[in-house]
Amino acid sequence: MEAPILSVVGVTKRFGGLVAVNDLSFDVRAGDILGLMGPNGAGKSTLLNIIGGEYKPDSGIVKFKGHDIAGLSPHKICHLGIARTYQIPRPFTNLTALQNTMVAAIFGRGLEKSAAESEATKVLDITELSEKKEVVAKDLAALTLKRLELARALATKPALVMIDEVAAGLIEAEIPKILDILKEINKMGISIILVEHVMRVMMEAVDRIIVMDNGVKIAEGTPKEIMEDRKVIEAYFG
Amino acid sequence: MKVAIPGLRGGLVPLVIVVVLVVLPILGVPRAWLLYLFLFFVYLAMANMWNLLAGYSGLISLCQPAFIGLAGYTLVIITWNGLPFYLGIIAGAIIAAAFALLISIPVFRLRGIYFAIGTLVVPEALRIVFFLWRPVGGALHGGGAGYMVKGLAGISMSGFYWMALAIGITSIFLMRVILRSRLGLGLAAIRDNDNTAASSGVDVFRLKLYSFVIGAFVTGIAGAIFYIYQGYIEPVSTFTIRWTMILILSTVIGGIGIEEGPIVGTVIVVILHFLLARYAGLSLLIQGIILVGIMLLAPQGIMGFIRKARASRSPVTVSH
Repeated sequence: MEAPILSVVGVTKRFGGLVAVNDLSFDVRAGDILGLMGPNGAGKSTLLNIIGGEYKPDSGIVKFKGHDIAGLSPHKICHLGIARTYQIPRPFTNLTALQNTMVAAIFGRGLEKSAAESEATKVLDITELSEKKEVVAKDLAALTLKRLELARALATKPALVMIDEVAAGLIEAEIPKILDILKEINKMGISIILVEHVMRVMMEAVDRIIVMDNGVKIAEGTPKEIMEDRKVIEAYFG
Repeated sequence: MKVAIPGLRGGLVPLVIVVVLVVLPILGVPRAWLLYLFLFFVYLAMANMWNLLAGYSGLISLCQPAFIGLAGYTLVIITWNGLPFYLGIIAGAIIAAAFALLISIPVFRLRGIYFAIGTLVVPEALRIVFFLWRPVGGALHGGGAGYMVKGLAGISMSGFYWMALAIGITSIFLMRVILRSRLGLGLAAIRDNDNTAASSGVDVFRLKLYSFVIGAFVTGIAGAIFYIYQGYIEPVSTFTIRWTMILILSTVIGGIGIEEGPIVGTVIVVILHFLLARYAGLSLLIQGIILVGIMLLAPQGIMGFIRKARASRSPVTVSH
């Protein structure tokens, strides 16, 4: 079997007395869509922040394409090929959608300005934002900003993208659109870690799911297996 | 990023203004006018750089007098060694930039207001250094450890004026180039959200360092030109917060983080200096009151105020 693109081995992160992530291990294989689930406070965002370089783990190994990336700075991790979106969109508020995306294409991917512009235009097309290209981010609606997060992540040309709750707050009718975009991204050969509470997205988009609770991995398997797992049901309803 | 002064965008109006400014000394305008224009352009170059740092790079630098003073002292060392003054300007700017690189190691560990405090002590330290250190020999001038700048015979007020004009115009041009470059886009991204910028591949530290070093270099040139005019340098009036005050005032009155801000602000500061020249004791107090007033009434300065007024007159299209 092919070596995994990302492997997390025994990662622990403490904040004072709180163990946010506790001895966590998992792999992401190239081309996978991995779902990450867990109740609020389970440590999902902390985990993404560790992989993205915003936090340095207290112990454990994070290996991406053979590089040990634990504790590297976020821009270096981006250059290696990991991009992310934020749960609460964090755009460059005074820049247009196009400029937002160009920042990622220029600095994440190292393109020149004109090449970055055409790349950004392409990515905005994939995320169905072409019409909003010239709109300043602070004038965009909250849900549009979620897609801008995706566009920015894609423009860095990642091998792995971590998507934090892209479907939260969407109405039922908008979900197929997001599913299409996710599949489109995956078809480009990009592996995905998807943090999501909207079960429909999890069930339809994801190959494998990891469930976290109190910083620990409590289950791993296909969506169907996870649905029937007693520990998962307890974590959510118990 | 729209240009608020329409004439600056088209090429003709600024060209005419620059030509008029260049030939002004030949037209025989009074020396006092040239002096105030000289100060305007020196302050403008420095204020533009302070705007680049504080307005565009999130670096509230309070150590600009260090770059000004180091360039001034480098000028002294160069001219005392019999080398021409223009080499002094270049060497001064290089020393200022190198010093910026050096102090970035400690001060870039500090963020926001701590960065400001960290940089504040730098000129204070240099003042003491240059009080005690005699970089070149010769007799003491004045009460402190002062030096005359040598090798300036034959430079007239017109000459000083042209040098200042050159750096002032260059600084405007440089800001335009920087803000439209990769560096400018990266800085704009950092200003809006530094975490997102970093996770989008922007090396936040490096971009801020570029600004800091560019800012020091140009401020150094302007500082050296000022000391060529003054012909004399000593630590107390050099490594002083008075410089910082001028730069903050020029930038904030005009509009911080707005390209044209320092141009407008510096005009007002120079007019203020002219008006307040005979009330030396009260001058700083009045400037301080104006600064507080602007921050309370129009935090985006005059240009920000004008922009807002324009925006509210034309209907805003909000897209969702």
